[in-house]
Amino acid sequence: MTALASPSEAGLRVLLPTTAGEVRDALLDTAGSRPRIGVRGTGTADAWATPAGPVDVEVDAEVATTELRGVLRYNPADMTMAVRAGTPLAEVQEEVGRHGQRVAFDPARAALGATVGGLLATADGGPARHAQGTLRDLVIGVTVVLGDGTVARSGGHVIKNVAGYDLAKLFSGSFGTLGVVAEVVLRLHPLPRASATVAVPVEPAQAHDVGDRIVGAGLEPSALELCDDRLLVRFDGTPEGVARRAKAVAAAVERPVQEAADTDWATVAATALGEPGDTVLRLGTLPSAGPGTLAALPTAGLDTALSSTVMSGVHTLRLRGGSPAAHAEVLRAAHAAVGPACTVLRRDGLPADAPAWGPPPRSVAVLRAVKQRFDPTGRFPAARLAPWLDPEGVRA
Amino acid sequence: MLSQLRSALVDAVGVDGVLDEPSALRSYECDGLTGYRVTPAYVVLPRTAAAVAAAVTACARHGVPFVARGAGTGLSGGALPVADGVVISLQRLRRIVEIDPVNRRAVVEPGVTNLDITKAVAPHGLYFAPDPSSQQVCTIGGNVAENSGGAHCLKYGFTVHHVHSVDVVLPDGTPTTLGGESELAEGPDLLGAFIGSEGTLGVVTSVTVKLLPRPAAVQTLVADFDSVEAAGATVTAIIGAGIVPAAVEMMDTLAIEAVEAAVEAGYTKGVAAALIVELDGPAEEVATQLAEVETLCRDHGTTAVTRTADPAERARIWKGRKAAFAAVGRISPNYFVQDGVVPRTRLTEALTRIGELADEAGLRVANVFHAGDGNLHPLVLYNEAAGEHDRAEHLSSSIAELCVDLGGSLSGEHGIGTDKACSMTRQYGQDDLDTMKRLRAAYDPAGVCNPGKLFPTPRLCGERPGPYHPHPLESAGLIERM
Repeated sequence: MTALASPSEAGLRVLLPTTAGEVRDALLDTAGSRPRIGVRGTGTADAWATPAGPVDVEVDAEVATTELRGVLRYNPADMTMAVRAGTPLAEVQEEVGRHGQRVAFDPARAALGATVGGLLATADGGPARHAQGTLRDLVIGVTVVLGDGTVARSGGHVIKNVAGYDLAKLFSGSFGTLGVVAEVVLRLHPLPRASATVAVPVEPAQAHDVGDRIVGAGLEPSALELCDDRLLVRFDGTPEGVARRAKAVAAAVERPVQEAADTDWATVAATALGEPGDTVLRLGTLPSAGPGTLAALPTAGLDTALSSTVMSGVHTLRLRGGSPAAHAEVLRAAHAAVGPACTVLRRDGLPADAPAWGPPPRSVAVLRAVKQRFDPTGRFPAARLAPWLDPEGVRA
Repeated sequence: MLSQLRSALVDAVGVDGVLDEPSALRSYECDGLTGYRVTPAYVVLPRTAAAVAAAVTACARHGVPFVARGAGTGLSGGALPVADGVVISLQRLRRIVEIDPVNRRAVVEPGVTNLDITKAVAPHGLYFAPDPSSQQVCTIGGNVAENSGGAHCLKYGFTVHHVHSVDVVLPDGTPTTLGGESELAEGPDLLGAFIGSEGTLGVVTSVTVKLLPRPAAVQTLVADFDSVEAAGATVTAIIGAGIVPAAVEMMDTLAIEAVEAAVEAGYTKGVAAALIVELDGPAEEVATQLAEVETLCRDHGTTAVTRTADPAERARIWKGRKAAFAAVGRISPNYFVQDGVVPRTRLTEALTRIGELADEAGLRVANVFHAGDGNLHPLVLYNEAAGEHDRAEHLSSSIAELCVDLGGSLSGEHGIGTDKACSMTRQYGQDDLDTMKRLRAAYDPAGVCNPGKLFPTPRLCGERPGPYHPHPLESAGLIERM
């Protein structure tokens, strides 16, 4: 969305609230004059799922969460932390790291300054997804602000809590279409005392089988990520324990195992981020079907890089070189193969008219009903999810 | 009107699937929260997802409220019928449809019990991690409704972390699917918001569960302490050391007394508190961390540490822990089971305050809880015959609200249901509840799907819960309520 990417050029009014209350005030103040609102953090997902073609939904103002930051509450002994949603994840990690703790979540965008709220709203994830899931699995409380200025909280500050509906889940993957995430309470984990990564050279087609042996052997890897033709296996635990488990991989997989380096994990992150000119797609499959689905994509002639969270069936594919038509062909094939389980993370290589989303999920009628209830006046134009939420509003 | 509905229900589920004899309906008039009882107009027993959809459609068309029900073990009245409404029992949908060991998942119908999933997949070396203590009888559909946890959720999380997708009949009768084949989000996480919605957003007809390989090693120890404070400080020290045990449970003197009277599990009578710590994972790390835990227990003045020697001893310790709620019946004629959560660092403070509240009320409270995640289960002991009911009920509610005041939650796993709907305003503001109601309205604009639960209503909040009566299996120590 060009207007969002360069707000000043578009003459867009940028609102910079510093608290949940100011988010509410900003939304109330603009209700009449600037009805259509965009939400943006540090912009690390500007390229995610942007609509096809020219700007199809103009917004009148943007709520930027870059000043909506800071720690609200942190008691290290409870291993929970409440932050304003515009706080960069990297800052949170630094703060809790000083107390030997971490948010067990490692999306590539964190290094670019991605915010906690933005990472929740886009349902991003990294290799830690294998053992810890994504932010939706680590958020224990949330404060959201709806278009009519309603400030609502769900969950709380304790890790076990079944009182009321879990709105944090609903806002995970909502791409700013339901309201503004203003505050987030995170569950923390101890920093591992030691970590070790080994690499198993594999044909991508065998990655799932090899990963299955490692998991089946009870080695409890904390990450199991295919990086092109090597399966990276990370162990977290005691120094002796991770060393023993790393050593046990070779026997479990009956293959030679290589040393791995930090640069291997950097490669995984680089695949997800891509570079100018690239197309980056993230696909979800049944884990065992991943290799077959990926192999069937028409990527011949393109420079590709692949990173798969093998046992979760989540695959990030970077395309480089070749024509926009060739990139579009891959996207079309991906949509045909995995339906709604495909997110465009970068679309530089795609033609302008390539769609952001494939066919909607089966539950799309529920999604539309939720959108209608949470944002009845359409203050948050459904841009990022428009093809699903507002099909009639999407321009060809 | 009702006769038209009856014929529509017969069309939906067959004549043998509709119950309306008073004696048959009585079995469905309450769940595990036996103090609340309502007789429904009909109970239907569909055998297929299509029949569930047809039954829901019939209710929706007639504007008649319906309540889905699994095994009825819930402790918050979440499956309490609505008067003149319909109960949709899912007991006949109990097929294990598919086991996919390669992708470590299984497709099961909602009436399958939690433990039967684990039994069915055990030959593949797999299990279903959530282990609510009623797991022998509670159903996966109920686990989805309540987002059930169990003793091991400190390390493994709750039902929401172990479900890939659910097939749901929406309150207007439309079938849909929430979630997908992979763990990649497909827009807003409708599945995550559905799990734990206490049956108010739709009726589950199929669940695709995630399965885990059995851990390589499991070790359990029991440590006695001469003060609850020392036991609580030990828990904080264990977690602070970066150890994530599979389970950390605590029982106080009264709870131990009851357990030993009931099942002789081998706990030390008379100690102020016993901690049960279980570690699982790779063998060497479990051994190393078990030694560390033992050291931490000693550092905090444990009076005795026992490592379980074998699986049989481990099973005995857990049997005692699991029998605790029912065992309290040995030392008190009546009791209420409470469920609340406090930040772990406020455990000791919470227990002190509970003790004070109990003294003020002139009643005894036994404490059994998941110490690792601050989930308390105080058992308020009283004698109905001695006219202590109202005092006990007030004390029990005060304890739940104390948990909220200490920065915690009204419920860690039993749910809000009917029982605590009136306390929700203690934990949430009106805007919070109204926003949650928007989600409900998106699914169920007519308000026919399990109405009167979870949210406070003036009508409900005039009523009063009754005392707790254990399930027969619970009295036998085969299941527990946690």
